[in-house]
Amino acid sequence: MTLFTKEGCAKCAYVKKNVDLKKLGIREEVLSPDNPDSLAHLAWHELVTVAVTQMPILVLDDNTSIIGAIRIMNFLTAMSDQL
Amino acid sequence: MGSVDPQALQGNSTPWPLSKNPENETTDMALFVRTSSETLSDWNRQRIVDALLRETTIDRDTAEQVSREVEEQIVTSKISLVTAPLIRELVDAKLIEHGLEEARKMHTRLGVPLYDVDQLILHPNRENANVPHGPEATNLTLAERIKKEYALLSVFSQEIGDAHMRGDLHLHDLGFIDRPYCSGQSLEYIKKFGLHLPNSLSMARPAKHSEVLLAHMVKFAAALQSNFAGAIGWDAVNLFFAPYLEGLSDREVHQLAQMLVYEFSQQAVARGGQAIFTDINLYWEVPKHFENVMAIGAGGEFTGKTYAEYAREAQRFVWALFDVYRDGDAVGRPFFFPKPLVHITEKFFQTPGHMDFLLHICNVAAEKGNTYFVFDRGHTAKVSECCRLSFKLEQSDLEDAKYPWRMRYCALQNVTLNLPRIAYQCGADDTKLFAKILEVFTKAVQAHLEKKNFLERLLALGDNGPLALLTMNKDGLPYLRMHRVTHLIGMVGLNEMVQVHRGKQMHESEETLRFGLKVIAYMKLLADRMSQKYGMRFVLEQTPAESTAYRFAKLDLRDFSPRSGYIVKGDISRGEVYYSNSTYMNVGSVLNPIERVRKEGLFHPLIEAGALTHLWLGEARPAQESLANFVIKVFRNSQNDQIAFSPEFTACTACGRTARGLSDRCCYCGSRQIEGITRITGYFTKISSWNKGKLGELKDRFRNQGYFDSKGG
Repeated sequence: MTLFTKEGCAKCAYVKKNVDLKKLGIREEVLSPDNPDSLAHLAWHELVTVAVTQMPILVLDDNTSIIGAIRIMNFLTAMSDQL
Repeated sequence: MGSVDPQALQGNSTPWPLSKNPENETTDMALFVRTSSETLSDWNRQRIVDALLRETTIDRDTAEQVSREVEEQIVTSKISLVTAPLIRELVDAKLIEHGLEEARKMHTRLGVPLYDVDQLILHPNRENANVPHGPEATNLTLAERIKKEYALLSVFSQEIGDAHMRGDLHLHDLGFIDRPYCSGQSLEYIKKFGLHLPNSLSMARPAKHSEVLLAHMVKFAAALQSNFAGAIGWDAVNLFFAPYLEGLSDREVHQLAQMLVYEFSQQAVARGGQAIFTDINLYWEVPKHFENVMAIGAGGEFTGKTYAEYAREAQRFVWALFDVYRDGDAVGRPFFFPKPLVHITEKFFQTPGHMDFLLHICNVAAEKGNTYFVFDRGHTAKVSECCRLSFKLEQSDLEDAKYPWRMRYCALQNVTLNLPRIAYQCGADDTKLFAKILEVFTKAVQAHLEKKNFLERLLALGDNGPLALLTMNKDGLPYLRMHRVTHLIGMVGLNEMVQVHRGKQMHESEETLRFGLKVIAYMKLLADRMSQKYGMRFVLEQTPAESTAYRFAKLDLRDFSPRSGYIVKGDISRGEVYYSNSTYMNVGSVLNPIERVRKEGLFHPLIEAGALTHLWLGEARPAQESLANFVIKVFRNSQNDQIAFSPEFTACTACGRTARGLSDRCCYCGSRQIEGITRITGYFTKISSWNKGKLGELKDRFRNQGYFDSKGG
């Protein structure tokens, strides 16, 4: 799984603060002006337009995505509970 | 004593000085000079001195010395015919001998060799398939040649000019150096202010009748064509005509639609005999940002209603327009212009009658190919034009939409990067590759700065300048709103860059497709960074590259052989070579339409100024239901920005009938007097006018002949 975050995004910081990404095996990709890899990865998942208005974005292993801090938190909390 | 026409040396109409300096010794030659002001003049060495002092920075003594040496050369050579250009060439040669390279550049004469003029008059220009062959086109081409030279010598720095000449990048429309690139606007400007143009012989008040509004639109488009290099786009044409259509019968609305299409498609009498490259943006629904806008009607007055209240009239008009497109011209050929761009939005699907309309425009797409499907997902709104260019509307633009005559957008210039050339120079080293992209990208930005500076100088001349139309100020702002212009950075041959760098083309592996995405993502970030740095809007565009893809391929074959010989597409033995356009997959790759739309669409959100996927139909004639189903899927399940279906036609000039598909003889009468017609880049045109690169591409195009359900199938 990949969590796309952005520099200066408060909701992204909130998710990162409250979830142990490492423990859940989630890779973080930070969108920034110096990171074409992350932007290309986002484009691969057809999420560039979404990312303009909504961050963070969690891309699951089956290539589906969850958008928005609350939904992501709910999903990851449930996932964490199952571990 | 003889004399030389100063015009010959200075290239302008400065009056001939009457006095001659007695201190200047001139050979008493019985020599006449053919001047560029069509006179025979006596020889006068002093004219050389005057021109050198006026045009260059050399001192008088050097100018005197150069003039004496040239005079000596002319005397000893016993030349029988001395022309002003010859004298200038001799002077320039002397300047080089004296090591005065800078002075030589300043003193250069711009011109065209006799042989080239002969060729131009006799043979068609294939750089732009939208330029016919004729005296007016020759004028255009010759003027373009001079202005190109001027641009490369005088507008752009040597570094940028050399980058263009080498083929590192392409500076588009150099022949139109003294104009911006293209424009998009709404009809509201002429509806509100009438046709009141600088330098026109008469002024017209705002139109009171629909036919007059159409006449104003056509004339204004022609005036705009004279002030912009490329396409002229019109927003929401059916909606803005709507207030004039109340009370008209369906027959009258159909007649108006027919007039509009014919007026623009038969405008091959304007600049250089070119049809005006016109795009009309059309909506089935009333776009959200125009819903509550007060409508302008007859006489430029507000009607007291909002545009939302004109939905029915707007729908009647757009339906009639597509009736006209479906029927084609008098012999059933597709109309080349104006290009109809239908916006597909969320609201489209909520608007009653949308499915019938979708089937109608898909029928036109299947029959004639005209329909462009422009996808505005979410809250996106845009004005589209050219082959794929879009002006995305920002929040401030949506505010302007309340006063739609303010909605005037312009791309000032387009500069395209030759991506395969970058890869040839980097030996599969990623670090080198991205560093080189940055280097060429930075040059493209520099080119934009130089063009902007030049245009700002012209615009500063205001009413008395060459761009008076763009400085006219009827609503408190110049027509060309410099604060809202964009600067386009295009790309050609991403597919071949990836092929050189990673060994496979983009359709051949996921890894190479992803690498292509990384390159474009990097360019997008560079555009954002440069925008911030310079306070200008640099945006990526899929360059149409009608001739650029051919030019780059030819130059790279020369400079990077033998490697490039394995990379360029087309038929090298026939010279029909090209690179894949912009971010496209190889046109010959066997991809079903869904795959092509999805894979090419991955790039589209990164390309802010517009992107398009072509679906080549060949002679297939899909069912309208099949295309409608496809269009809905593309809107819902992809990020693709725009799509167009392109059938092919053979029009017979002997029997006047048009058949489906490309063939070498008429299937009705057997005549070989035929014209092949299909889409070259964004528009339909006759294949006989295509350049060699595009002919090569046409042969390679993979036609989706069996994918869509056929009519009756």
